[in-house]
Amino acid sequence: MSEDMSFEAARDELAQIVAQLEQGGGSLESSLALWERGEALAKICQTWLDKAKKQLDDVSED
Amino acid sequence: MENGADAPASVRAIAERIAEYIDRLGSVWVEGQVAQFRPRPGAGYQYFTLRDLSADMSLSVMIPAGKLATLNPPLEPGQRVVIFAKPNFWTRNGSLTMRASEVRAVGLGELLAQLARLKEALAKEGLFAPERKQTLPFLPRRIGLICGRASDAMHDVLVNAKDRWPGIAFEVREVAVQGTNAVTEIMAALAELDAIPDVDVIVITRGGGSVEDLLPFSNEALVRAVSQANTPIVSAIGHEQDNPLIDFVADLRASTPTDAAKRIVPSFLEQQAIITDMRTRARRTVSQIIDQHHQRLADQRARMRVMVTHRIQRDSQQVDHLLAQLRTLSPQATLDRGYAIALMDDGIVVRDADDVNVGAHIDIRVAKGRFTAIATEEGSTA
Repeated sequence: MSEDMSFEAARDELAQIVAQLEQGGGSLESSLALWERGEALAKICQTWLDKAKKQLDDVSED
Repeated sequence: MENGADAPASVRAIAERIAEYIDRLGSVWVEGQVAQFRPRPGAGYQYFTLRDLSADMSLSVMIPAGKLATLNPPLEPGQRVVIFAKPNFWTRNGSLTMRASEVRAVGLGELLAQLARLKEALAKEGLFAPERKQTLPFLPRRIGLICGRASDAMHDVLVNAKDRWPGIAFEVREVAVQGTNAVTEIMAALAELDAIPDVDVIVITRGGGSVEDLLPFSNEALVRAVSQANTPIVSAIGHEQDNPLIDFVADLRASTPTDAAKRIVPSFLEQQAIITDMRTRARRTVSQIIDQHHQRLADQRARMRVMVTHRIQRDSQQVDHLLAQLRTLSPQATLDRGYAIALMDDGIVVRDADDVNVGAHIDIRVAKGRFTAIATEEGSTA
């Protein structure tokens, strides 16, 4: 999974994962795998959001 | 008479023939101005030159001294007279003289009456019509000036015009402004200046004088020439109360030479002030436009900030929400209660202890983190 992923892509995939887990029926393995991926995607989203807030703050200093 | 290259006539024959022709004109009344007159005291006859009022043509006149003596005021150059004379061809030397038997001064009253008639005639022709008047150029390239030699009028025009618009160029023609040569010289100067392409206006001016002095400026030929000139003409003759006929055909009549100077060029200072004012107003308007744009830009940037902030908040909330859901759905809660998940090398969850061999690497996931364990014994289900 690369940090080149866009915010939208990461968020949309995270939503998909949540939907899959909600459906249930998967094994523990698959749940674990999905969960791990979900956390990683959330981290990417957070990085994007932090960067955006920083940009906003930088510009407002003009 | 018989005449040819091989049968020429004699001088005498021709001279007498010419005398006959000329004699046929008979006595006529002729009006003109005295050009040259040198009285010869004691002589039986006096001689003078009679010149046309406008054209450069003249006749010699001889008159019995007694007839001349009755003239009051005495004859002098420049005076307008009427003679009754017969042309006489002197066969002796081939010259022509008008033998006058009468000479009369054209009196002031008669002159003024003549002028009034001329004015009426010219007006009827439409020469005074306002439609004929040309507007003067705002800033002429060159100004033609017809004036008396080294006159105050010349000085007044030049000084006042240059004061108003420094650097204005003049084309000056100094001429006689009274007397017998005035009309010819003025008309010649007018024709010359009218022909120069960058002379955009012509001023004809002279100072005050008697009615006789100003007569040239009511001369019919001169007045017609002014009315027909291509270049706009300004007349500034005499004083305010003088109104020679040239004033009526000129495109502009100025009351004095100084007045003329004011009307042929704009004032540099005034124009400067107008331009400065326009520049100030333009600058102010541009400044306002810039401020408006600036204001609009600031508004747009503020709105952008607000929208982006909202967006980030929404996205943030969304992610938080998803993460919470993720964690709820995940084994995390179970792990938090103390359970651990054991995974084999290949990622399969250990469900059966028999599957664990000695030395196998087991990946243990607990509530917080993971570590690897190596089985030291065979697992057993006992």
